[in-house]
Amino acid sequence: MKTPVLCAVTAALAIGMTSAQAGDASAGETLYAEACAQCHGPKARGMASFPSLAGNDEEFIVSRLEQYRAGEKVGPNSGLMIPNAADLSDADIANLATYISTRFQ
Amino acid sequence: MAQTLSTRSFGVIAGSVLIASLPITAYSASDPPSLSHTTVLSNLENPWDMAFLPDGTMFFTEKCRGLSVRLPDGDVNNLLGMSDTDNFATTADDLFCEGQAGMNGVAIDPDFSENQTIYVYSASKMSDPPTNRVLRLQLNSDLSETSNRTDIVEEIPYKVEASDHPFGGPGAHNGGRIRFSPDDGYLYVTTGDNHNSELPQSGDTLGSKVLRIDRDGEPAPENADATPEGFDPRIFTYGHRNVQGIAFHPETAQPYVTEHGPWHTDEVNALVAGGNSGWDPRPNMAGRGDCPDDYCGYQPNQNEGMDPEERADYMPMTDTETYPDAMEPVWDNNGRSQGISSAAFLTGEQWGAWDGRLAISFLGIGFGGTPVGQRIDILDLADEGQSVEDVTEMPAPMGSARFRALVTGPEGDLYTAAEEGAIYRITPQ
Repeated sequence: MKTPVLCAVTAALAIGMTSAQAGDASAGETLYAEACAQCHGPKARGMASFPSLAGNDEEFIVSRLEQYRAGEKVGPNSGLMIPNAADLSDADIANLATYISTRFQ
Repeated sequence: MAQTLSTRSFGVIAGSVLIASLPITAYSASDPPSLSHTTVLSNLENPWDMAFLPDGTMFFTEKCRGLSVRLPDGDVNNLLGMSDTDNFATTADDLFCEGQAGMNGVAIDPDFSENQTIYVYSASKMSDPPTNRVLRLQLNSDLSETSNRTDIVEEIPYKVEASDHPFGGPGAHNGGRIRFSPDDGYLYVTTGDNHNSELPQSGDTLGSKVLRIDRDGEPAPENADATPEGFDPRIFTYGHRNVQGIAFHPETAQPYVTEHGPWHTDEVNALVAGGNSGWDPRPNMAGRGDCPDDYCGYQPNQNEGMDPEERADYMPMTDTETYPDAMEPVWDNNGRSQGISSAAFLTGEQWGAWDGRLAISFLGIGFGGTPVGQRIDILDLADEGQSVEDVTEMPAPMGSARFRALVTGPEGDLYTAAEEGAIYRITPQ
């Protein structure tokens, strides 16, 4: 009788992990409009020197934002991205990554 | 050259769709107009510039797509596409976009009714290394196709390699606005420094300059009388950082440019023939030492926020100590840089107190405590155009955006391109 219990636990863990990794797209949308859209554009297609964000997956966006938050220089716009990312929480990053990766394919 | 379809009817609001009409009372001391706006085109890709015929026909550029024209009935003909674009009457495989470069300015020949000719500024791979070029193009009678391309300027420098600077990717500091003077009839071409410290003060390159040329690309003869000996005769002014806007005073024809500053000091300059705008980011100059990739333009600290005034002291936009005769700005955005982009004079009684004033636009950039500042400002020039008496922020009826271009239309309304993908018409009431 152990198997069903284990399965249930595994399923619960999987659900829990999924909801922890997948951020709140609605919160991400709000934050994107406030902090990102002025340079990357409302459709994340990029403008002038600011790159398009469309087509990036969630993991990539989380990774980049964590690098900028840590003060790591990645590319020619780091001077702008590092201070912009400095105060982002883990939840903020997850929310942005979920919104950007799902909204802008 | 590929011949393909020329009419774009999808993805564009071809008619003038009124999405808002907001009577707004501006807050200047006198009587500014109330404003409404119309979205002329939307779903564009990085629109960069516009130019109008008297009947309202609007030529427009998109940085990575190319040149198109919106006819008075709202139809759009895609005329000259960059490499790898579809649905243009003609595509040019040498034209490309990268960073700030691509297809930029557009201007209509003053004798268009006779010669059907227009001009565009674009990055091109026809030369090696790539350059920016000014292309002269002839339209057919129904404005559906261009032909007889002639590159009247071929060697405006383009930044090829990335460098260790903010926004240091290829295509940076690319200038790109082109306008005909209503007074002397010459074409004025604005260029940028490419993050190359040698360009601004050099007389034998066309970067960091305003050029003054005729319609064949030949120099205005008066240029050489005003510039230092040995300068390329096409140079009208030099020592600029990155000029993206130029407009001519409606009464005096005095040319004014907008010059994007390095995290401090966006400038509006009244140009004089042969003038030096005083930008010199070379290392080991004016008390500076070595700098990243031999360009001191963001020093003394190119990655951290600091007081713009301290920056200006160390690396001035207009270095009047080294160049005492340099053209000093008529306005400097209170020492801030927020990405000044374009300029156009407002004319006509419908503008009320703003009749004759200079509209300037900002892309917006927030760094080191400077507010982003996406907006259009209205400058009231004084002292015979050599200073600014009043600055009013236009209560933009369409909201804030990265305003890339300002152009006055044939009816006197103000048109602006928002890099997010729209061209708006702003109407005073």
